[in-house]
Amino acid sequence: MSTTTISSPSRAAGGTGLSFAGILRSEWIKFRSLRSTQLLLLFTFLAVVGVGSMTAWVQALSLDGIMQHGMGMGAPGSPESTMTLDQATAAMGVNLYGIPNAGLQIGILILGALAVLFISSEFGTGMIRSTLTAVPKRLPVFFAKAAVLVVVSYVLTLVAAVATTLVAMPIFSAYGIEISFGMDGIVYSILMGGLYVAGVALIGLSLGTLLRSSAGGIIVLVVIFFLLDFGTQLMSFIPGEFWKYVNQYVPSVAGGRMLEINDKVAFISPAAGALIFVGWILLFMIPALIALKTRDV
Amino acid sequence: MIEAVNLAKHYGAKTAVGGVTFTVKPGMVTGFLGPNGAGKSTTMRMIVGLDKPTRGTVTVNGKPFEQHRDPLHQVGALLDAKAVHTSRSAYNHLLAMAATHNIPTRRVNEVIDMTGLGAVAKKKAGGFSLGMGQRLGIASALLGDPQTLILDEPVNGLDPEGVLWVRNLARYLASEGKTVFLSSHLMSEMAQTADHLIVIGRGQIIADAPIAQILAGSDKAKIRVRTSEVTRLSQLLGGAGVNVACHENETLEVTGLDARQIAATALENQVLVYELTPMNGSLEDAYFNLTKDEVEYHSQQFNDQAPVAVKGL
Repeated sequence: MSTTTISSPSRAAGGTGLSFAGILRSEWIKFRSLRSTQLLLLFTFLAVVGVGSMTAWVQALSLDGIMQHGMGMGAPGSPESTMTLDQATAAMGVNLYGIPNAGLQIGILILGALAVLFISSEFGTGMIRSTLTAVPKRLPVFFAKAAVLVVVSYVLTLVAAVATTLVAMPIFSAYGIEISFGMDGIVYSILMGGLYVAGVALIGLSLGTLLRSSAGGIIVLVVIFFLLDFGTQLMSFIPGEFWKYVNQYVPSVAGGRMLEINDKVAFISPAAGALIFVGWILLFMIPALIALKTRDV
Repeated sequence: MIEAVNLAKHYGAKTAVGGVTFTVKPGMVTGFLGPNGAGKSTTMRMIVGLDKPTRGTVTVNGKPFEQHRDPLHQVGALLDAKAVHTSRSAYNHLLAMAATHNIPTRRVNEVIDMTGLGAVAKKKAGGFSLGMGQRLGIASALLGDPQTLILDEPVNGLDPEGVLWVRNLARYLASEGKTVFLSSHLMSEMAQTADHLIVIGRGQIIADAPIAQILAGSDKAKIRVRTSEVTRLSQLLGGAGVNVACHENETLEVTGLDARQIAATALENQVLVYELTPMNGSLEDAYFNLTKDEVEYHSQQFNDQAPVAVKGL
């Protein structure tokens, strides 16, 4: 220590001043330099493809049963009938083109939590003070973090969707159901799933910024994306037309609707679902930006 | 250069900083001295915009900090030794900080060498001792080779070698024409490092002057005298404005006379004096005089000791 040399004044440090590209690179270094994040991303990929493949297998098995034996699937005493593939999918309420995103819920849960942690851990450890001293205008930090999360979520989900499809194809094929990338809606599903997860990540980042707490942020995220759907489905039992329509406007249902290509009776269109989902993102993001800009850290 | 004008921060009904005005000039080390809870850290956080002032303004090198296009080149701040993600290595922490300003990796390695972090740079910062964490904080502050350095309690937790290093670093940077602003509640540390002192208590500036002037302002410089004839010498030294106290055998503590006057009296009267020591506590005395009404948290008084809990003395 005592034999150190101290560099000459002014620009001994090099450096060209603050730039958004620099802040983006800084956030990327932060993101990739945590061992826990690296392991989590690997785990997420395996979990999304794993759950997706299992879902595909169960679907293939069920569809096969329904096509051969009707809705009773050959259970003793149930009426026997046969169905076409289209009738069977309609009866089960599934879309074969949704197979690429069969494991999406796992990706939403983990990547959403990772997004919360990406900023809440900075508040938790005090790192945020270093970050905001380097970038005192503050908001560019949020946008750089958002960009990193959107790209990572999108790419990971896209690759996992392709992998899920590749695994699902031989499974379905074994039951005589052919799935290919040329099928209506498959490529659309593969391209859209990542956008939905990226949107969830933005809401996660906003929650982490607003609540500054990892546990709090993740709990609220789970409530929004898992419990709200369930809760509003229960609401449809409340007398009155209004309550039957609430469910389709919650973030997970509206966002999930983006992934579909067909029209549904008494249900918002995929485009409307996308718009509502974007609205939800802004509803969380704008207060988060105001809080980040104005609060003491 | 740091210029604060009527800078105030309230937390609800509590006033942390109550409208302070001061200037920290380049080319010297300015000490920011005050008891715990006096508002030192809050003031420093407001300088770099982490806390928003309730009132007043503060500029760094002529502009509010957030308006600079190159904040890390303007100000290097060590505000909290734990402003680091615990699971990230020191090297990656510095790399991420440097990236915001496109500061090359070469500079990251330089500050690691400068602060003696080489051996632990690839380890997780969460496992660092207080002293190592402090060194990492100083390394971050030096990354941009800033014009102004703000260090909040920089020697906290450092070993003696580290304390000396921080002192030399502060003095060196000031000699290079940079602005160096460091806070401490350790007066002894300030006496050896600072050229100028700003003393704060209960959110108010209670002194802002060159350190020599603050020392001179303390007319209570104490001198320890060891003699075999305690009683006789006390009588000889006694007089108006002179205070002689005897707390231990063969030892007097004299205020109101300087060492030369005491020696002269002893020589004239043939009294053997075998120690004559100006007490280094003079800055402490000055500080206690200044802050005795301003201390936020009085500790219980024991014996004759000063009514402030002071670490490291």
